[in-house]
Amino acid sequence: MSTSAAVAPIFPTFEQVCQGFAGQIGMLRQMAPEPTLTDAVRVERAIDTLIAETNAGEAVWLESCIHCGQCTTACHFFQATGETKYAPMRKMDLYRRIYQREVGPFRWWYKLITRPVKLKELEDLQELVYDSCSECGRCTMVCPMGIDTASLVHHLRSALVAAELVPAELAALTAEQKHRGTIFGASADTLMNMINTIRDHYGVTIPLDKPSAEVMVLSSAVDLVANGNGLLATARIMNHLGVDWTMCSDGFESANFGLLSGDMALWRQQSESITTAAQRIGAKTLVIAECGHAYPALRWNPMIKGGSLPFDMVYMSEFLGRMAKAGRLNLTPIDGKITYHDPCKTGRRGGAFDQPRAVLQAMNADYVELPSGREYNWCCGGGAGIFLLERATRLRDESFKIKIKQVNATGAATVVVSCASCRLNFEAGRVKNHWDKEVASLVELVADHLIDTPAQAPAAKSSQPGVTA
Amino acid sequence: MTLLEFARGPAIHWALIILVAGTIWRLLGVLALTRGGDLSRPRDAFGNYKGYRTVFSRAWPSSEFNVATRYQTIVAYLFHFATLIVVVGITAHIEFIQSLTGASWPALPNAVGVAIGIVALVSLLALILRRLTNPSIYCSNLGDYITWILVAAPLITGLMAFAHLGPRYETMLAIHILSVALMFIWFPFSKLMHSIWFVFSRAQSGLTYAHKGVQI
Repeated sequence: MSTSAAVAPIFPTFEQVCQGFAGQIGMLRQMAPEPTLTDAVRVERAIDTLIAETNAGEAVWLESCIHCGQCTTACHFFQATGETKYAPMRKMDLYRRIYQREVGPFRWWYKLITRPVKLKELEDLQELVYDSCSECGRCTMVCPMGIDTASLVHHLRSALVAAELVPAELAALTAEQKHRGTIFGASADTLMNMINTIRDHYGVTIPLDKPSAEVMVLSSAVDLVANGNGLLATARIMNHLGVDWTMCSDGFESANFGLLSGDMALWRQQSESITTAAQRIGAKTLVIAECGHAYPALRWNPMIKGGSLPFDMVYMSEFLGRMAKAGRLNLTPIDGKITYHDPCKTGRRGGAFDQPRAVLQAMNADYVELPSGREYNWCCGGGAGIFLLERATRLRDESFKIKIKQVNATGAATVVVSCASCRLNFEAGRVKNHWDKEVASLVELVADHLIDTPAQAPAAKSSQPGVTA
Repeated sequence: MTLLEFARGPAIHWALIILVAGTIWRLLGVLALTRGGDLSRPRDAFGNYKGYRTVFSRAWPSSEFNVATRYQTIVAYLFHFATLIVVVGITAHIEFIQSLTGASWPALPNAVGVAIGIVALVSLLALILRRLTNPSIYCSNLGDYITWILVAAPLITGLMAFAHLGPRYETMLAIHILSVALMFIWFPFSKLMHSIWFVFSRAQSGLTYAHKGVQI
């Protein structure tokens, strides 16, 4: 175990973090911006957004649905409630109508036989594309046409942004990140304070704003305003590895409420601040914190020219997996049976399957796969911002029962997650259901099992070129 | 002009023209739209090509969904294959195709043709029964029912004509050909186009996911 393990902890437990967030989320609803445009303009903007975002890909998917019903049974929200309005295929109905009227090859005909879209219909859509779709993509795995409903839902979210119809909690955080550059008030000062606290109390150094570094590491608001253990764990691992790393005060936030809400202007503003900082310091690797949607916001975003960026973007679990595979993580064994929950955004929709498993293997874990695991994993029900929506509490709670059943079937005592949203949702579900499992974050688990030896001092590693394994 | 002459002549010919022109129009109208490129770096350089496998692999559901999809997969397979065999396998159809294209091949014995036609019809009934009894799963719309009726009609009228049921043979045959004409006309405007879209739709998703190193 590392030296800092002996220091008395000062940060709250994750259960306390979770309770604290519940209070903060409650306040968001009062902070949500009110609509400013007329109804007609809001509808028009939603339609224009969909017209602009509909390419051949979206059109083919909208054209292909045969109403075979397979996606319905694959969706956790339908499975949990049995309510037909949550069927994935129905989420596309309004999009298809707009497409048929405005873009499709028979638009002159559909303009005659279909009704124009009304604001009320867009208002009703809110529940379908925010509350009851975590864009997890499980429906795509069963669709005989292979329709990627999650992508279409994302376009619908963008349309609702244009129509000023983002749910209150997401709207408040989107506005905060857009205008102040913070989430839950997590500013550069918050980051500096957290870094100072970690240094003063634990003696763990976090390099900030180094003019150049090989590895640039991101954090997230959850870690900065509540869960100090997350950033502490990250720092201990980076120092253990002896990598040349830094955090940047002008690009540290993984969470991107532009992507979550569908506000792609904010998405760009947020992601560009990170890629610009990474280029400035000459980073070779950008490590994204355990914040699921940050992976598609940065690594997989089709609008970021990844090929021409001089650095790799990796998710925390991927980075740890690479280090574990390279034998660079010196870890004590872990007790008890363990399973791993693939977050939708890094698993099925991200492809980072093997790396987190390699980390657990490096701890000699008694590892057991979830039934319906990997590509077929059930979403925990809290992704894509749903954890923040009070209105979606019933949907979340009901669908989490699927997760409980799935984890219980493994007989594991601990379920490891690698996404702050999943973890908050798991923790809330654990407490609510008096569930006897332990929920652990991969990065904190690794930090708790580090064996710090002199060989891992920074000087010894500085001769190793790069960590971009 | 008798009803049969009308069916065999202008009706079926115009239906075929609408079928072909409509299908081309719908395909071009969609495929000519711009394609949004994915600028992110693929997980492995040539991995994207693996995505095309989805066009074939999705012909059968993954074992993960075996239980949920078993009924529909089996019955839908029966329906599609039985219908295809009847369309290209019985004497009357081969003669019609020969009159249009000149191509010809040996036909199935009549009894076999009838048996397979019945399999197609029964499987189609089994599919609509499931759709009707599970409304929350299928979310059916008017188009689903019109399509079912227009696909069932040629099967029913064809079997009736073959078995000399209903009105006199010539009339029944005319009704059968007219029902086929209706289905041809409906094809380009309906979900029957899935017989073409599936290739594009599966390929797109296969590529999107293969880009990230995920086999769907």
